[in-house]
Amino acid sequence: MSYLLRKLGIFVFTLWVAATLNFILPRLVPGDPVSVMLAKYQGRLDPSAVDALKIAYGLNDLGSPVSQYFGYLGNLLRGDFGRSISLFPTPVIDVVMRALPYTLGLVGITTILSFLIGSGLGLYSGWRRGKAGADGVVPVALFLNSMPYFWFGLLLLYIFAFQLKWFPLSGALDPFPGDAYSASWWGSLLRHATLPVLTILVTSVGGWLITMRNNVISVASEDYLAFARAKGLSEGRIINRYVLRNALLPSFTAFGMSLGFVVGGSILTEIVFSYPGLGYYLFQSVTNLDYPLMQALFFFIALAVLVANLAVDLLNLILDPRIREGRA
Amino acid sequence: MTAVIPGAIPIPRRAWKNTSLGRFFRNPRSVFGAGLLLIFVLMGLFAPVLTPYSPSSLEFDAFMPFSAAHPLGTTALGQDILAQFLYGARLTLLVGAVAGLLATFLSVAFGLAAAYFGGWVDEAINTLINVFLVLPGLPLIIVAAAFIRGGGVWPVIVVIGFTGWAFGARVLRSQALALRERDFIAAAAVSGEGPLRIIFVEMLPNMAGLIAANFFGAALYAVLSEAGLSFIGVGDVSLVTWGTMLYWAQAKGALLQGAWWWVALPGLSIALLGTSFALLNFAVDEISNPKLGGGRLKMPRRTQAAPIAAPVAGDALLSIKELSVGYLTPTGVVRAVREVSLDVQPGELLGLAGESGCGKSTLAFAATRLLDPPGAVLGGSVRLAQHDLLALSPEELRKVRWKEFSIVFQASMSVLNPVLKIREQVYDAMQAHGVTDKAKLDARARELFDLVGIQMQYLDAYPHQLSGGMKQRVVIAIALALEPKLIVMDEPTTALDVVVQRQILQEINAVRKRLGISIIFITHDLSLLVEMSDRVAIMYAGEVVELAPAHQLYAHPAHPYTQQLMNSFPPMTGPRTRRSGIPGKPPSLSAEIVGCPFFERCTKRMPGVCDVKPLQTFTVAENQTAACFLYDPTVPSEIKDSAIRSSQTPQPEVSREPAHTIN
Repeated sequence: MSYLLRKLGIFVFTLWVAATLNFILPRLVPGDPVSVMLAKYQGRLDPSAVDALKIAYGLNDLGSPVSQYFGYLGNLLRGDFGRSISLFPTPVIDVVMRALPYTLGLVGITTILSFLIGSGLGLYSGWRRGKAGADGVVPVALFLNSMPYFWFGLLLLYIFAFQLKWFPLSGALDPFPGDAYSASWWGSLLRHATLPVLTILVTSVGGWLITMRNNVISVASEDYLAFARAKGLSEGRIINRYVLRNALLPSFTAFGMSLGFVVGGSILTEIVFSYPGLGYYLFQSVTNLDYPLMQALFFFIALAVLVANLAVDLLNLILDPRIREGRA
Repeated sequence: MTAVIPGAIPIPRRAWKNTSLGRFFRNPRSVFGAGLLLIFVLMGLFAPVLTPYSPSSLEFDAFMPFSAAHPLGTTALGQDILAQFLYGARLTLLVGAVAGLLATFLSVAFGLAAAYFGGWVDEAINTLINVFLVLPGLPLIIVAAAFIRGGGVWPVIVVIGFTGWAFGARVLRSQALALRERDFIAAAAVSGEGPLRIIFVEMLPNMAGLIAANFFGAALYAVLSEAGLSFIGVGDVSLVTWGTMLYWAQAKGALLQGAWWWVALPGLSIALLGTSFALLNFAVDEISNPKLGGGRLKMPRRTQAAPIAAPVAGDALLSIKELSVGYLTPTGVVRAVREVSLDVQPGELLGLAGESGCGKSTLAFAATRLLDPPGAVLGGSVRLAQHDLLALSPEELRKVRWKEFSIVFQASMSVLNPVLKIREQVYDAMQAHGVTDKAKLDARARELFDLVGIQMQYLDAYPHQLSGGMKQRVVIAIALALEPKLIVMDEPTTALDVVVQRQILQEINAVRKRLGISIIFITHDLSLLVEMSDRVAIMYAGEVVELAPAHQLYAHPAHPYTQQLMNSFPPMTGPRTRRSGIPGKPPSLSAEIVGCPFFERCTKRMPGVCDVKPLQTFTVAENQTAACFLYDPTVPSEIKDSAIRSSQTPQPEVSREPAHTIN
């Protein structure tokens, strides 16, 4: 129980840090972002329109930093992230909610797939260590893991979408995909998702492979493994109940830790494929100096990673009896 | 004892090869990684020599194809791509190196501070680490960089450094925590060294490998982050890095224009640079953590034992013949067991004693084929009942294990899998040998737990819920599950307190007598063995130096080593006297030992005999043998007498010429 409370505490605390960073960062800029933001419109908007905008954003009455801060936190709690500047007057939260399902679908499914495939290969590579095939995958995995996500995405886009025209060049759906959830709609969704999925899968699988390999190797030198072998257990049983079961635990923890990195990579992937998820809009908001949208997107990306981490912690609680007893 | 180990690999003698640096240069991964990195560094350094153009001049036509003047053509803005690529290496490497250093510095500072100060400092830093670990790095960098854009390369480096330290800090913290527990740190603290001195002089050097590995990991992260940032136009796109090359290539539609190499080259180079960092990270990690390495030592083939003369002498259950076992290390072969022959009779409890490192556990592991690389059987044979254990195929071996012989490990505290219930770990041994009926399994488990005195409810507990003594009983219960003919017990009770130890030993003895099981009992506690065993074998430096029935050994120890061992235990009765240990230490097992291995420490040594003649075993009395020249009938008795006489007076320590090392 204390484990769970602790993890919840860190969850809330980290979320608070993310929110606070969001608050502080714009204020560190020489010349406040408000004027930077409005400078963009200066040529095009007459002063009365600027004032109207300021009022609309709540930027006219700044108050002391402390009261600003609490006002900001209060707005967050109410789910009020203000209005987007580049997509004015759409509320930021609407943009986020539109983009969220795409990112969750893309990143969620690929991350789980990549974890399973990578861990499977890592198990093989660690258990059969010393054999050419098992050791040979290591440099390959390191190379794949060192490729910039967006670069690999660009190559896929160039070859399979631009040259071969097997897949669409951008977006998540055809302009007229048919009725939502119909067969043609699903088909369109899948065709658009294939290359982004492949990009994330190929570039992230190596990391899980190396992690699992190292875990398997360290489990292989544990006394309980020697004992299991001494008992004359079959290889299948040993791998299943003694190696995999134990090596997966630290892998799960690493899974949670590395999610942030994968999400970062998926942002770049979304940008390359103009895939309308959180990352794509984050890019748009950065290019358009749309600060409210940028902050909300960062907040939600952090939230998604934190929730996933919490889920991993819960899973660990189920899988590891030592944690259940509060001893790990 | 011959110096030749058949089939052993010759290992170079030069000392530097065994240093970390030497291993670094023999590891193909680190050599490849370092080579790749060197190429990129040279490219950046010699860019002005390799290309006549400036990377930023816009003087040429756009999208020129390959030509002699422009081997890689030009960009959409009319820059020479080769020049951009070569000069781009400079800033890319700079970002990797400096941001990597910054992140590593922060990791070390936070990790060590947390581990050293502990308490609330550790708590606070640990929370901070956790926060930074789960905060998604790239979005944070993007948002942070968006606010500081256009300031050149340094803001990017600072932002990457400040977001990339957490993972390393976590690893270093746990390493430093483990280090802090070690004696020499505690000793330094007690002797009044200040925290800074302890951290920098005592702890840091011990973590050098990990810190280096961490630096390469951070550099990889930095290069990839810089590329990502530049690509989306945050950061400073007027700089020339491989990342900004990709940005401009994408922005100017390089792929649509067919100038694919403008995209492919910088991206591939980032990937290769990243790979070189990753390889170096991996290799340094492997070198400083030998657990991850290994697997590359070539195992020598076991020499075929001389065909076993006559189908096993007598009716021994287990017959070990001239078994030689070694550990293959980068410095050579450590010969831990040297041509040991030993028989165990049915129903017999054979004690195996000797000081730490004498090879008793290695002998037991090798004989039961549980020895892991780098340990290897170099020669000899082991026969159990009708099985030639060393010749069995893996599947045959699996079937024989536990059914014919079981083993109780020295480290029984950790032989139970912490995440499986006890029940499963009791069942699976039986299931692996054909007992599958649930009711039978349950009945047998209850019987066994009853036998070793544990309550049934612990069948459904996890190992960490049991005390050390209970775990030990569980392991013994598992060892008895299939009523094997032989149980090897490797210091089964060393970690337990004396009362529990006594109880368990009595139970073992009772069960043994009831079931007629043979036991090899390994311990360094000689008085315990004398009390329990039928026969005792004394091991020293990989050899069995004396073998005798327990009472005989107690009453008339023959080998000077045994005598001195006996002398280091207080007798139960008689006046209290000062006990002496045995001065000196055993010879290095990586060396060839000429003559008797105990020569230097022996009070009855006979120079000119013991350090010259090849060691042999002599019969001392009925059933008693000793590997000692005092019992060699060919040695004149006056030499023996003078040696025994001089043993009454203290002698200066001697040493013979150091034997040359094997290989």
